[in-house]
Amino acid sequence: MDIIRRLRPRSLVILALCAITIASAGCRRRAADTVEYSDPHPLPAEPLIRQLPAVGRYGGRFVLGQTANPKTFNGMMATETSSSDVTTLTDAALVRFENASQQFTPELATSWEVAADGITWTFHLRKGAAFSDGHPITAEDVLFSFQVAYDDTLHPSAQDSLKAGGEKFRVSAPDAHTVVINTLKPNSALLDALCQGGLPIIPKHILEKPYKDGNFASAYNVGTPPDQLVTGGAWRVGQYVPGEKTVLARNPHYYGFDQNNRRLPYLNEVVFLIVPDQDAADLKFRSGELDGLDNVKPENYRWYEDNQRDGNFTLHDLGPGLNSNFIWFNLNRDQRTGAPSVDPLKYAWFNNRTFRHAVSMAIDRDAMIPSIFFGNGEKSWSLASRGNREWYVPDLLNRDYNLGEARKLLAGLGWKDSNGDGVIEDKRGNAIAFSIKTNADNTLRVAMANFIKDDLAKVGIRVTLAPVDFNTLITNIRSDFQYDSILLGLQSGVPPTPGNGQNVWRSSGETHFWFPRQRKPATPEEGRIDQLMDVILTSQDRAVQKEAFKEIQTIMNEQGWFIWLPILKVKLPVSNRFGNVQPSIMAHRLLWNAERIFVKPVER
Amino acid sequence: MRTYVLRRVLQTIPLLLGISLITFLLLQLAPGDFLNQMAENPGISAETIEAMRVRFGLDKPWYVQYWIYLRNVILHFDFGQSFSRHQPVFDVLYEGFTNTLILAVAAAVVTWGLAVPLGMVAAVKQHSWIDRLLSLIAFVWLSIPEILSGLLLLMLAARTGWFPVGGMRSLDYDELDSISQVFDIAHHLVLPALVVGLIPLASRMRQMRGSLLDVLRLDYVTTARAKGLSERTVIIKHALRNALNPMITLFGYTLGALVSGSFIAEIIFSWPGLGRLTLDAILTQDQYLVMGAVLMASLVLIVGNLIADLLLAIADPRITYD
Repeated sequence: MDIIRRLRPRSLVILALCAITIASAGCRRRAADTVEYSDPHPLPAEPLIRQLPAVGRYGGRFVLGQTANPKTFNGMMATETSSSDVTTLTDAALVRFENASQQFTPELATSWEVAADGITWTFHLRKGAAFSDGHPITAEDVLFSFQVAYDDTLHPSAQDSLKAGGEKFRVSAPDAHTVVINTLKPNSALLDALCQGGLPIIPKHILEKPYKDGNFASAYNVGTPPDQLVTGGAWRVGQYVPGEKTVLARNPHYYGFDQNNRRLPYLNEVVFLIVPDQDAADLKFRSGELDGLDNVKPENYRWYEDNQRDGNFTLHDLGPGLNSNFIWFNLNRDQRTGAPSVDPLKYAWFNNRTFRHAVSMAIDRDAMIPSIFFGNGEKSWSLASRGNREWYVPDLLNRDYNLGEARKLLAGLGWKDSNGDGVIEDKRGNAIAFSIKTNADNTLRVAMANFIKDDLAKVGIRVTLAPVDFNTLITNIRSDFQYDSILLGLQSGVPPTPGNGQNVWRSSGETHFWFPRQRKPATPEEGRIDQLMDVILTSQDRAVQKEAFKEIQTIMNEQGWFIWLPILKVKLPVSNRFGNVQPSIMAHRLLWNAERIFVKPVER
Repeated sequence: MRTYVLRRVLQTIPLLLGISLITFLLLQLAPGDFLNQMAENPGISAETIEAMRVRFGLDKPWYVQYWIYLRNVILHFDFGQSFSRHQPVFDVLYEGFTNTLILAVAAAVVTWGLAVPLGMVAAVKQHSWIDRLLSLIAFVWLSIPEILSGLLLLMLAARTGWFPVGGMRSLDYDELDSISQVFDIAHHLVLPALVVGLIPLASRMRQMRGSLLDVLRLDYVTTARAKGLSERTVIIKHALRNALNPMITLFGYTLGALVSGSFIAEIIFSWPGLGRLTLDAILTQDQYLVMGAVLMASLVLIVGNLIADLLLAIADPRITYD
């Protein structure tokens, strides 16, 4: 009741003034543009000097839309993108994965080396690096970050990639600026786990107390006053207004500099504005209230292409995305009795490689691209699309559209339409029919499933569509296995290495969709993939790793466990007011290099 | 009167208990739980998810979870934590509640501020062209879905620059003086308030019209006219007061729906209210946040109905509660 009493008079005043305000419309101020920054702190002992394409100037802000509020500013506990979009910018990391070059570069660690044993990694920390409150970042903080990550009660998701065969790495600090990590077994994915978005380096002097008191999970929550959020990245949280915006301000102690020894970031602020509706975000960009969009519907690409000059923005073509799309059939079996989860009749079809190939070859992907992707699609035969520079394999074995061949394969199985109803039957006279499930809220997936239904009808296979709620779908995949086939997609992690996808490839993996959590590999081929995964994770030789990854993908496509579908090409509009903008296909597409972006001087 | 209010307040306790139990059961019946959202992410292992399940208490059977929840609510007035935000549920809901209330009150002002005078005009000029025109406009607006009218107004804002394209405050809000701040919020409020407020306008206007027409036919109005009072005085002083009686009841009842009436508009206009919050909570099965939101909406509904009944007693001396 107190709330209401406090509110009433204010809202009435607001309403009374409603009419008058219409007159004051249009006068928009850009106060943040006018504030020039002068760096009060001296250069640290070992600054991180970046050779930037363009030297920028201080001031201004970049406004990006976000569909949902960050849920926490605690990078260790963040589990969804609205939070990690923010924490990857605010948290320090030992190494940096450069989205543009898709390579690892120094960040908090100036350099690192692996000993001849392949398991002892030494990281040299940057001298003079400091958190946003000026407190130095040392090996103590790194050790503390590992300690929290390894906590079994909290179980942060960073922990998963910091283990070898279920065992935690041994981490020690010989001195204040050296950290030694013993990975127990050779581990080629260590840098993946230590770059931004992996293990955040958190301030021990602030977070040790809540950790010891058992309050770590709720530390750095969105209700914490921003001046108490001490972080080590280029940015710190300046302001958070629930449901409206998160404003990031510069970390005045950040150790990154441009080639003229001017401290980064250039911008005064990065603003994440909450715009839940995608159409509204579109309009907000068009009216200049947002400076870029990191997600555009493909049907709108055309409008942006045509209006680049008038709108003073550029539509950046980032090429094929890293989100894959595929169908798989339910091959789950009870691990004790061996009884399949689907009708044994259907299991006999689904488990037949030839059937899976026939399905794949009945899907006309080239026709799908103009109609569903508005021409902005590309065929892809792996989780690693062409956008994945390091791991993409161009000439991968695939089963593309070939209607004649698909029919021949089915006929070869002895399946034919004996009763003339347009649907083929197997040898025992059962009509070949199955359902495709997908999540109803994803219009692209539903459209693809519809398309596939029509294509498969042409070879005499009857498909029914079952768009369901996402949570139902996950329950079907993970626990009750109540489905025939599912159409889904996966988003690559950053960096998009095979190691990041091992839960998909490994037979024991949770997202080994067609038959997850196998106690031992169900087929020799899955066993081989498990071995190859070990090779990738233990080898330090990139050529060996790539060869192994190619073999995994070849086995996958020989078996047809995933029936690959086209993927979306990504195009994003960004205002021309900014310099050093380098949108990339990886997650954090626009702001991965936010500290280097600046407002260009206005040309007259 | 006092005993009546007390009785009504006491009645809410079993009601809220029932609502909380049903909500909890429905949440349990829905497939999956909060942690399912993480299941699509190949970077998060089964052990991590299992550890979180234990940490959130989701590994226990539903009746144990409900019992713990109830005990915390009754003994400590603790409504639990939001899983996603690691924050107490009421802290999360409070932020949205005030904003939703601002929008709801503004919308109510639009509705009632237009419905009463326009309904009067329509009644006095019954069957005239203006009566018909008003009905036409009101019904056309009633039949446009909120999502469409909202987007159309947003497009107007983007095209003309007369209004901000959604949101509640400008980015520079904090640098403004307090008067400009009020102006700023009001400026952002105009379009969403119109979208939400104009929808019930048609029915309210027709109700006002009908109610006034009923009264105008009564004997005492004829008497007033016969006394030689001006038509203006007859309508405003004599007829209107009685005609407003049913409207007051209606107003009281709409109070209850205030908080939940603007969810769609909130999402389209990026208005930071309860709408998005509740929707997110339901979609992600943020259990205790949903419970808190439902209980709060129920409470507002109950209080709204109580106020409606009390208003009626105040406005009409013939009605008493004992």
